[in-house]
Amino acid sequence: MSTGFLNVVRRELRRLTSRPIYLVGMVLVPVVMAFFFIGMLNPGLPLKVPAGVVDLDHSQMSRRLTRSLDAMELIDVVEAPMDYHEAMEAVQSGRIMGFFMIPEDFEKDAVGGRSPQLTYYFNLSIYVPGSLMFKGFKTMGVTAAGGLVQTNLVEKGAPEALAGVVLQPLTVNSHPLHNPWLNYSYYLSPSFLYGVLELMVFLMTAFSITQEIKTGTSPQWLAAARGRIGTALLGKLLPQTVIFTILGWGMNSLLFHWNHFPMNGNEWWMVIGMPLFVIASQSFAATICAILPNPRLALSICSLVGILAFSLAAFSFPVEAMYGAMAIFSYILPVRWYFLIYGDIALDGWAVYYARMYFVALLVFPIVATLAAPLMKRALRKPVYVP
Amino acid sequence: MKGFVIDTKEWLSETARIFRHEMSLVFSDVGVMLFFFFLPIAYPIVYSLIYNTEVTRDMPVAVVDNSRTAMSREFVRHADATEAMKICGYAADLQEAKRWMAEKKCFGILEIPADYTRKLGRAEQPQVQFYSEMSLLLRYRTFSSSIADLQIATGAQLRQMTLDDLGMPSTGETSTIGSVGFALGDTQQGFASFIIPGIVVLILQQSMILGIVLLGGTRAEQRRRLKGGGLPVTGDSMSPSAQVFGRTLCYTIVYIPLSIYILHYVLHFFHYPHEGQVTDYILFILPMLLATAMLGQTLNMMATERESAFIIVVFTSVAFLFLSGLTWPRYAMTPVFTLLGDIVPATWGIEGFVRINSDGATLGLEPRPWYWLWGLTLVYTATAYLVTRWQTRRG
Repeated sequence: MSTGFLNVVRRELRRLTSRPIYLVGMVLVPVVMAFFFIGMLNPGLPLKVPAGVVDLDHSQMSRRLTRSLDAMELIDVVEAPMDYHEAMEAVQSGRIMGFFMIPEDFEKDAVGGRSPQLTYYFNLSIYVPGSLMFKGFKTMGVTAAGGLVQTNLVEKGAPEALAGVVLQPLTVNSHPLHNPWLNYSYYLSPSFLYGVLELMVFLMTAFSITQEIKTGTSPQWLAAARGRIGTALLGKLLPQTVIFTILGWGMNSLLFHWNHFPMNGNEWWMVIGMPLFVIASQSFAATICAILPNPRLALSICSLVGILAFSLAAFSFPVEAMYGAMAIFSYILPVRWYFLIYGDIALDGWAVYYARMYFVALLVFPIVATLAAPLMKRALRKPVYVP
Repeated sequence: MKGFVIDTKEWLSETARIFRHEMSLVFSDVGVMLFFFFLPIAYPIVYSLIYNTEVTRDMPVAVVDNSRTAMSREFVRHADATEAMKICGYAADLQEAKRWMAEKKCFGILEIPADYTRKLGRAEQPQVQFYSEMSLLLRYRTFSSSIADLQIATGAQLRQMTLDDLGMPSTGETSTIGSVGFALGDTQQGFASFIIPGIVVLILQQSMILGIVLLGGTRAEQRRRLKGGGLPVTGDSMSPSAQVFGRTLCYTIVYIPLSIYILHYVLHFFHYPHEGQVTDYILFILPMLLATAMLGQTLNMMATERESAFIIVVFTSVAFLFLSGLTWPRYAMTPVFTLLGDIVPATWGIEGFVRINSDGATLGLEPRPWYWLWGLTLVYTATAYLVTRWQTRRG
């Protein structure tokens, strides 16, 4: 066993260093992508959304409203279109993400008790800035209304402090636990880093296995392992496990140590989870190769699944809101379980007891691969290349 | 002059031969068919199925009611009635509620203070606390809009009560400023309606590049086998520009019906935002197809075998999605990333198409993306020509 195993490991190390494509797929792509996402998402929230104000009133009150809008943290008033149509064109050409309309006779109506109506339009075809703008506009609408009611009440003789309470009889304070800044990057960066890692593990595993079939070297590989498929797979994949695990740890230290992402739990569980995640991803790809021992099909399936994982693993859209049939697919993705570990341990800071099932889920993948291995043995003995 | 005419004729017939040959290659290679047809046809449907429910609602929320009065129970009923919240039970204290959260039994905790009713009676503004679990931002976003509704609804009711108690006229008689908001583009405010119109454009680009690189990798393998007595690659002896133009013509013609399917029928069938004019967006997408065909032939530089397409192209989809500004607005990026995004056809394709499709813009309102796409077409034509010349000379 041991000499066969070492034979395969030595053989694999020679293969990995023989062609640049292994270096590209296993090191270059993950490293470049890691720095790419970290660099891109560093600013946190995209503040200062470009907006327009259509002021049809031109009064002191409307100008004050415009100034308060511009002073908001979320909004940057960059244009003052003359009317609705001009504002709409500015949205359609992308210069602004939405606009706030102050109607004619706004000040006169407000003071005269004729309840004027403010309208605002926000473009949700780009979601994040669109919803930030909505938040800013809505706050402004409510504040403007509140200010006026307060003035009215005070005029009618209510004490000023009481008027404030009447305006808002109770407050509900929201506490976004562990992420009070609502930093979007906390979700996007790790999900994409782990997603890219999984994708490249899928591809390189499938590539290195099916390459043996394509070039007809698979009988030789099997022979080096003394005919044992378990030894053959272990020896071939272990060097890759080591490389990808080190890369994964590097990604985590990039997140938690260089960029100070929240780590509210025990970081060791993230460290221990990484090799399990890599092995689970390798097992997934190996299972695919065992069922479809053909370079094109195996790599196609791995690509399709690896790319869909970014949507299916429910980093941005919760699984419980998906159709049942779609939600099933998210359970067969290793990256989903590692991301859940990240959510539980790093973000929420729960004890590992509550995340135990996610670790178990990662361990199921190698078991499935072991069951599928005999299928692969048959394909390796008599390699057939179908382009 | 005469020589030029003959050359032109010769060039045109070479282009036509390349075009015909490439067409037959596309339709005889299952791998290419998978990328060129299966991917653009099936992917938009899969994505639609993933996101079709659009929103998440009725998420379990635990209540810690320290007041235990009729008024606090009424508040909880109001909370249960909101879109986002579904009260899953009363916890004895915050500790128990937090344990429920760790066990994923609830995603939010509503804590009502002991002096809730007393403070309301004294008009002192009680403070209700809401704790949201944050492993997904979308959950919090849904919660937070429901909390605003809850506060406004209960607030209005309570305000009336307080004013009646004080013997003051209700606010209805004084002036108020109303405000109303309208969502543009994604009027349903759903996740799918926002992401699908952009993603389908990216699918067009990526599936085309994958297919082209697969064809390029096949040619590279064939050239290597030539030394061992294999057949020469059709077209290698012809003029590089005829090769580039003939192939581009082939890919573009294959992709025009696919573009109509993706950009029109998919969006139409699944009831996504679909405002623009067909002529506008087809004319708009044409230079993106051309630029993509040329970019693919440039990337062939790295295609040494069939399978390299997977390793050098697939992962770029994720990067391109980010660079396009769909998930992260481009104005918030650092200049390096804006520049990187500028040279990807899909960035401009998504920007212009989303505005035409979702916001109802016309082609005339989108000159910048359109000119950029034509500019990229020119640049990548030059690079594709150089790569093709280099490869066929070497071979």
